[in-house]
Amino acid sequence: MAIDTDKIVHAVMHGSRIREEKGIIPLFGVYLSMIPVEYYNKISFGFERKMGQDGSAEKLLVAAGQECGYATFQGIRSSREWDEVVQPMIEHTEDQIYCFVSIAIAFGWGDLAVEELIPHEKLVVRASDSYEARGYWDAYGKADAGKCYMLRGVAAAFMDLVYGAEYPDGCFQYTAIETFCQAKGDPHCEFVARKAAL
Amino acid sequence: MIINWPEKFARKGHELFLSGLPIALHCHHYNMNLQKTLESSLGSDGTLLLYQAAEESSYAGFTSFLQHHPKINTTKSKLELASTSYQYCGLGIINFTQIEPEGGRIVSPHSHHVTGWLAKFGKRETPGCFFSRGWIAGALAVIYDKHIGYYRVDELQCKMTLARECVFEVVIA
Repeated sequence: MAIDTDKIVHAVMHGSRIREEKGIIPLFGVYLSMIPVEYYNKISFGFERKMGQDGSAEKLLVAAGQECGYATFQGIRSSREWDEVVQPMIEHTEDQIYCFVSIAIAFGWGDLAVEELIPHEKLVVRASDSYEARGYWDAYGKADAGKCYMLRGVAAAFMDLVYGAEYPDGCFQYTAIETFCQAKGDPHCEFVARKAAL
Repeated sequence: MIINWPEKFARKGHELFLSGLPIALHCHHYNMNLQKTLESSLGSDGTLLLYQAAEESSYAGFTSFLQHHPKINTTKSKLELASTSYQYCGLGIINFTQIEPEGGRIVSPHSHHVTGWLAKFGKRETPGCFFSRGWIAGALAVIYDKHIGYYRVDELQCKMTLARECVFEVVIA
């Protein structure tokens, strides 16, 4: 069975309209929020500017994205909604990654697509409109390095979850680089995740 | 005027919008990780960044909302809009019953950030609702037709420290 991204997007759109009495959105095993992308970009790039140009902010932001992706998508794949909507589409281990990408699209993280997946070895994800790249470009102009820290961490987290040690021991077993970024003027953003050097 | 929030939540291709404003769905893992990263790396500069980012995005968001809904033109209806939008965005419950243009108090019995922080990191020793403080400051500046930064919002009690509810104090900065 092929992965039906539209069905997953529809489930997220439907579920994210439901509020419990505390004004919280519990969906796919996590608590969701709807916050302007401007907020996230101000935080990431403001943090980077305050921390200086030594790369420490980049490492921390990518790690935050990776740890988030790891915990978030573990929650998602353990949820009732996953069992009902997504699990029936999964025939092979690798299908999980395609489903994760569909959910990330549903969350409004960008128009992501898996370009290459070599089981256990390599994942290449491409985005032709990431809110991080667009936000950087709009606020600061052309960047000299990739700026999609959240997506970069999340790409590695997908590999951690599917090919790393059993949860919760598999985080950071993979690492990702951003080979292309629209904030640098590239036509798209691209993330390559591989096994981390020990 | 009652806002039909589900109607305002729309998808155009891969992008999400709420009343025309680009948004993203993120969960408590990411929101709390960002807060912890900024706070542990930069201390008060980090929490100020969280506050100001929330204030600026709330200010821009409310300006956009009110432009889209010109019939919402009384203070009461604008405060109601603020409360319902906070709830619709999954941010929690917020009560604007003790607020005036000169300031006042705002109570929040439940919030995304409190629920998320307690679930992920447990009890804090100090108040931690930096996002909500900034969000309130930005929304009130729009509602009372003031410039951004006009209000300062402090948190007197916080559920992250296991207080019964979060209590915010609003003063003119």
